Parts: sequence; C-alpha cells; structure tokens
Amino acid sequence: MLSEIVFYVNDRKVEFSGNPLTRLIDVLREDLGLTGAKEGCGEGECGACSVIKDGKLVTSCIIPVGAVNGSKIYTIEGIRDTEKGKCLIDAFADGGAVQCGFCIPGMVMAAYALLSSNPHPTEMEIRKGISGNICRCTGYDLIVESIRLASERGGDLWA
Amino acid sequence: MGMTYIPSTLSEALHLRAETGAKPLAGGSDIMVQGKRGIGLAPEFPYPVMIITGLDELKGIKLLAEGFVEIGALTTPAEIASSSLVPWHIRQAAAGMGAIALRNTATIGGNIGNASPKGDLPQPLILLDAEVVLLSINGERRMKLDDFILGSKKTALADDEIIKSIIIPHHDFTYLFYRKIGMRKANAISKLSLSAAAEVKDGVIEDFRASSGAAGPKVIRSHEAEDILKGCKIEDIPLLLDDFLEAWNNAISPHAMPEYRRNTTRRMLTFFLSEIERGAEPGIIKEEAE
Repeated sequence: MLSEIVFYVNDRKVEFSGNPLTRLIDVLREDLGLTGAKEGCGEGECGACSVIKDGKLVTSCIIPVGAVNGSKIYTIEGIRDTEKGKCLIDAFADGGAVQCGFCIPGMVMAAYALLSSNPHPTEMEIRKGISGNICRCTGYDLIVESIRLASERGGDLWA
Repeated sequence: MGMTYIPSTLSEALHLRAETGAKPLAGGSDIMVQGKRGIGLAPEFPYPVMIITGLDELKGIKLLAEGFVEIGALTTPAEIASSSLVPWHIRQAAAGMGAIALRNTATIGGNIGNASPKGDLPQPLILLDAEVVLLSINGERRMKLDDFILGSKKTALADDEIIKSIIIPHHDFTYLFYRKIGMRKANAISKLSLSAAAEVKDGVIEDFRASSGAAGPKVIRSHEAEDILKGCKIEDIPLLLDDFLEAWNNAISPHAMPEYRRNTTRRMLTFFLSEIERGAEPGIIKEEAE
C-alpha cells in the first residue's frame, strides 16, 4: 500500500504525502505554484486544466493525485521553452488565437498532444483535437488556423 | 468522510475491499465529479475509497479461445476505440465518449460499475451478450452484463468484489448499426443511443438484435421483439415491422421524454430494417454521408 505518492512534473520529482483524493490541479497550482493550468468547470468538461500525463492529454481537475504515482506530467510551464512549445506559442500569437486567454494553456496542451501524434492534421482533425477545450471568446476559427500554422511551420519538429 | 487507500497490487486491493468495503476509484472521471467540493478542496465521500488506477493486472485487451475478447476493467475508451481486437459497436461507443482527455482517463470498469443509464459502453456490450468477470478474495464469478446492471446506479456487485474484466463473445453480423444522439458532436452526454445488428443468410434473418441506451433506468433489449424477426425472410420485413416496433415500444421506459425517444428509436430501427430489406451492401449501415 502506498503512503507517499511520487511522480514527476516537468521532469522535477514531486513527493506528496497528503490526502490522495487531492485533485492534481490543486497540487499543480497550490503546492507547486504552476498556475498555467486553469480551473474552468472542475468537471473535466471544459479542458482549461489540460495537462499531459504519460504522453496523453488529461484534465487535471478530475484526477486524484493518488492516481498519478510514477507518472510523468507536463504542464504548459514544462513545454513553453521547448522547440515544440515555442513553435505553438508563436503560432498562437501570430495567428491571433488569443483573446481573454483563459482557455489558452489548455488549448496549447491539446494542440501539443494532437501534433505530437498527428503532425499534419486536417481542419476536421484539428477541430476534433480541441473538441474537449471550450473557448467563449474566439469562435475557435483563429485557434484552428493557428494550430494549422504551427503544423506547417514546425515541419519535421512534429514528425 | 471515509479513508482513502492506494493498493499497489490486485491482491492487496481485494483484501482491502473485503476488510474495509472501500469502493474502487478506477479512472475517477465520474466519481471525482460526484464528490466535488470546489476549487482547492479535495472531493469527499461518505464511504472509504481505494484508488486502483495504477493496477496493471486490470489493464489490457486480449483475444481468448473461439474469438472471445477480454477487456481489463481499467482499460480506457481511447485504448478500446483503437484496438482491432474489439468488436465494431464497442469501438464506436468508446470513440464517442466525451472528448480526448476523458477517453484517456475513464475506464470500461468504471463506466459499467457506475451504472449510469447514460453510460456509453453498457449499451453495445449488452447487445453482444457480454459478460462481466467479478473477483474477490474467495474467487471469481461471471455473469451477463444485462443481469449485473440492476437499474440506475445499481449493480449486483457484492461488497467484497471488484470488476476484473469484460468478456465479449464473437459474432458474425452481416449488418451493423450504431448511433449516439447528444447535444453536440463531441464531448456530449448521451440523450439516446441505439445499436443494432443482423445476420442474414440466403435472404433469411438468422439473428437480429438491438439495444437502446439512455432510454430508461437500464439498457433496453427486447428478446420478444427480436424473436419476431428471427427466422423471417427479408422480403417479409414490411409485414412484421409494425409488430416488431410495437414490441420495442412496449420495452421502452415510460419515464422522461417518452415521445421523443420512442419516435427517434422507431425511425432508426425502421431505417436499419429497410436497408436490410432492400439488400444493402453488407457492412455498416449509415444514416447519412459524413
């Protein structure tokens, strides 16, 4: 039986011995000060808290920290200085994808997961890739266009 | 508030379950929302919980003898949707659950154990006569999923048992149909769903089955209705259609939006049967081009 939960966030080892039902988002934001992931709905519906867990996109508000023992978690803070992260962030800025910005860390993580498994998605595949991320400002078109731009500019980066 | 445990092996989980009655948290996508208390607060439950997400013994999909497929309780919808071992109806339902992040988090065992009438996987599993394998420190038992789910949020799971896996028998269907109706194309909770399948040989319907989800307290299958079509010639479908639809209508729960669900189900079944009658190309029957 586990009494201490050990996992990695942005390649940094984290040891947690509190309540195992603590939500991953609260550990990230409150304990580790990583406030990039946002809480929108708190029910896994809006995607604002999206992070990557063991290579897969998940919503950190519905995952108890007791479920991530041994996992590797990446947040927006962990990818923003990587080549792929920079490519996406520049494309979002140049493409005018951002209005209020609340959904954007989650959108970038969803786009990162999409392009990492499908480097050259069609428009429909991009829309499906961000279908779990809700944005109430943009109407999505400029976000979709910016992800397409990141795919184009990134080239071999995503392959 | 109950205790929370994190067993590191299946055997430890079974002992904990027997000794404390702790309820398994598989992926957490339903249960974490049920216990939600707000920002910065851990969910709370009036019963003890064990987080079993990490138990590898309960993960994976494998082929058994005679084409049966076994899916471990902690297998995710994303893994199910992308496995060529899994029958088509189940893959369709798994691919339509929530959005990507949910499909990477939820589990088939959780979807069944939660027994929500709106759960996506029980409906096609019951169509295919799937069985659930239940495990306790005293051993294993198997039962039909249709018998395991007793009603909304109610199952036959004993206090010392956990769901180990789902076993799906092999079928050779000539025609297949699946449709989920929700408020959005993606990330939607089911308003109504329907699976149907038929095996047709030399113009005779050897097997016909259909199941409805989100249309009552549990998944609806009407063997009485299915028997009306079994053994009949495809050209006799128009003669039997009214009796068949009447039998189906009687099986649908009288609660909650009855007319909408009745009409839509009737329309989908009529469409599927009319495609069979006209001798459509064997395979997947679709209502519209995508």
